[in-house]
Amino acid sequence: MHNTLYPKPSFDQCIKCNACVIDCPVSNVSLDFGGPKHLGPELKRLIENNEYIDDSRIDLCTLCGNCDLSCPENVQVSTLLAFSKEAHAEIAGTKFRDFVLANAETVGKLASVFAPITNLALKMKPVRKIMEGVMGLDSERLFPSYRFKNFNRIYKKKTANTKRKVAYYAGCYATYNAPEIAEAFVKVMEYNGIEVAKPDQKCCGIPMFANGQMKQGKKNAEYNINSFLEYTRQGYDVVVTCTSCTLALKKEYIMYLQSEGAHELARHVYDADEYLRMLHAEGELNTNFAEMNVKAGYYAPCHMKSQGIGNPAMDILSLIPGYEITDVAAGCCGQCGTYGFKKEKQDISLSIGKSMAEAVEEVNADYTVTECGMCKNALDQLTSKKTIHPMIVLAEAYEKAEKRS
Amino acid sequence: MYDVVVVGQGLSGLLSAIWAGEQGKKVALVSKGTGKLLQSTGFMDFYGKKPATEMTKEAVDKFKQLMTKLNLPYLGDFGSKVSVVTGSGYLKETILYPETVVPVPDSGRVLVVGFTEIADFQPAFVKGNLERERPELVVDTLTVSLEQKSLRTMTQLDAARLLDKKENRAKVLKQIKAQMQKRNLGQPELYIFPASLGIENWRTVLQEFSVELGAPVTEAPGMPPNAPAVRLFESLRKAAIRMGTRFYSDTEVIGSHVEENLVRSLKIQTSNHTTEIIGRTYIIAAGGVLGGGHVMTAQGLKDTVLGLETDAYGQYSVCPENVLLVGASRGTKELHCGITGGVSAIQSSYESVLSLTK
Ligand SMILES: Cc1cc2nc3c(=O)[nH]c(=O)nc-3n(C[C@H](O)[C@H](O)[C@H](O)COP(=O)(O)OP(=O)(O)OC[C@H]3O[C@@H](n4cnc5c(N)ncnc54)[C@H](O)[C@@H]3O)c2cc1C
Repeated sequence: MHNTLYPKPSFDQCIKCNACVIDCPVSNVSLDFGGPKHLGPELKRLIENNEYIDDSRIDLCTLCGNCDLSCPENVQVSTLLAFSKEAHAEIAGTKFRDFVLANAETVGKLASVFAPITNLALKMKPVRKIMEGVMGLDSERLFPSYRFKNFNRIYKKKTANTKRKVAYYAGCYATYNAPEIAEAFVKVMEYNGIEVAKPDQKCCGIPMFANGQMKQGKKNAEYNINSFLEYTRQGYDVVVTCTSCTLALKKEYIMYLQSEGAHELARHVYDADEYLRMLHAEGELNTNFAEMNVKAGYYAPCHMKSQGIGNPAMDILSLIPGYEITDVAAGCCGQCGTYGFKKEKQDISLSIGKSMAEAVEEVNADYTVTECGMCKNALDQLTSKKTIHPMIVLAEAYEKAEKRS
Repeated sequence: MYDVVVVGQGLSGLLSAIWAGEQGKKVALVSKGTGKLLQSTGFMDFYGKKPATEMTKEAVDKFKQLMTKLNLPYLGDFGSKVSVVTGSGYLKETILYPETVVPVPDSGRVLVVGFTEIADFQPAFVKGNLERERPELVVDTLTVSLEQKSLRTMTQLDAARLLDKKENRAKVLKQIKAQMQKRNLGQPELYIFPASLGIENWRTVLQEFSVELGAPVTEAPGMPPNAPAVRLFESLRKAAIRMGTRFYSDTEVIGSHVEENLVRSLKIQTSNHTTEIIGRTYIIAAGGVLGGGHVMTAQGLKDTVLGLETDAYGQYSVCPENVLLVGASRGTKELHCGITGGVSAIQSSYESVLSLTK
């Protein structure tokens, strides 16, 4: 009945060692979740050539991907989980709320048009209570605010004419909630003599995959693949400032679509700091940074860790004179995209965030650096420190150096 | 460009990264997954073919220092094996063990406490085997409930995380005391629990249990995940990250570029592409056959990491000068069946990192 045609990475190699369960943020705080091993490879083994079994416990998975990182046998656990989510959403139906959350981009478009009103409303307790009652949105969770002057209104450049050319995938957060990140990125590239084009793009699909809206997510994926391949085939590099979007382009599209196009695009995709680090290795990075006497903490988003790129944000920020940065060595933030906004997941989400908050306070830096807008949401709410995107820090270091000279 | 690139995130890889970091080296750690540490007991056994040496003692001391610094002290001494009880009731000899563990006495009275929810630890089964192993020991048993609704089969790790919380400890202690009184059980000299005496708050669990129960308590490791292994893994990983080790996770090393008998770079593969990572020195801690660094073929062991020729025992025919081998990556000539064991992992990591200074 259901599409049980899973992509190549199979469950066969799973030896039930439990490594994924040990590293699963949700399993670690809740006994209601079946766990990545049970709902991934084990469930798949059970239903292979058999009738589909729908397991509603899959709803608690955040698709953080830590299971893939821990698996010693290279089982793509999170892919199996994503397909279980799809099947469950099809069988059990999707709540209106989850449909809305999955469509973060549409929400962003609308909310930014009415930005002053939306932001005010999102901060008002009575409105939040109504949202909790009607929509099942957690009234304790703060929502990120929206900008009228979103990045789409500000930046319309479609081509680049420098030696290195960047096709920027901005993503919903830097487009609608924090255009200053996108602007800082463009500035940082300018300081390196690189022009940035912003190709036509849709939401990367991560909120859709996480809410079981696989079909819609794949549609967006196809759109982005086609749009960006036109650029990569002309020598552009695809650079991304949001770690979840980056992972979608680097890995999820490959896993979910299994298409030539997804593979071809993925080879050209870079996290923004990873890109700068590559420039540095090739001797092309402008290192004229002003001195900044800062002791920063770094919070690594799960979807950054999933990329297998080390820690490029810290590598680049460490090049700024006087800039000291320590990884706080925390696990998942518990926000997990749209997950943390859901009322019934509030306990799990906040319990996961608790150890993250402890790690941040333990390091006790001046502020926290992180790339992910949703992690920032959790960090802002659960810690006493300010949270900044690395591109903002870099743009400032370049600007100060320029003013000085 | 890194000073040291470590391959493997098991005990050997993590210790090598931490110790290299302590020397001020810039370290990257590449691994396709976690190591066997997570399936182990968390105790350090000795399976080496060669007898322990002065170097073993030095390395073991260094490990104990590190663990004390990380607030997870290890007891035991390199010169002497101790017997500890396992979750099946059989005894196992080990060298180093965490503070949550007390070696089994030869005689006297012990009480084995199981949790209804943890099917892998059956007190009656433990009793049968333990009495055979230690005929002069009087073994009592009882089972209490963690009183939790669970939608999955619970593991020792689940129990450990529950015991991190005060309210759950109180429930368990109350039941133990009530049953002991009701059944008129004599005061034991040692309480034996599954390997689940807390994760983050293990010290509090230990303290509270031994005070409330009036005797020391111990953990008996069995089916993974065992709490001591999880504590050790999490604290080593955190230490390595805080020291600035760059983790390249979910990343597989699929070969190397060798020139003039020096590895110039490793070929690494992630979901989106194949690229290179460059270091001055490479520490291979890929765990042999068990860890994935070797594969068994009809012709003997073959290396999967550097892609270089080995003999049938998994040793590189010509080992590049800037490559250091630790753990089972040293091949089966040095280790029984290529199983490393905690002490050999500690010693080989220590030796390798020492040679970095030279
Ligand atoms: C089930 C089990 C239980 C055990 N219990 C105990 C115990 O209780 N006490 C004890 O002392 N010993 C125990 N051992 C022995 C164990 O071998 C060692 O103690 C120790 O954990 C080995 O550590 P290691 O770091 O050398 O290798 P491993 O832990 O095997 O780590 C190998 C690492 O290399 C990585 N890797 C391999 N190939 C590649 C590649 N090509 N690219 C990237 N990464 C790669 C793997 O992902 C992994 O991270 C146990 C072993 C097993 C299998």
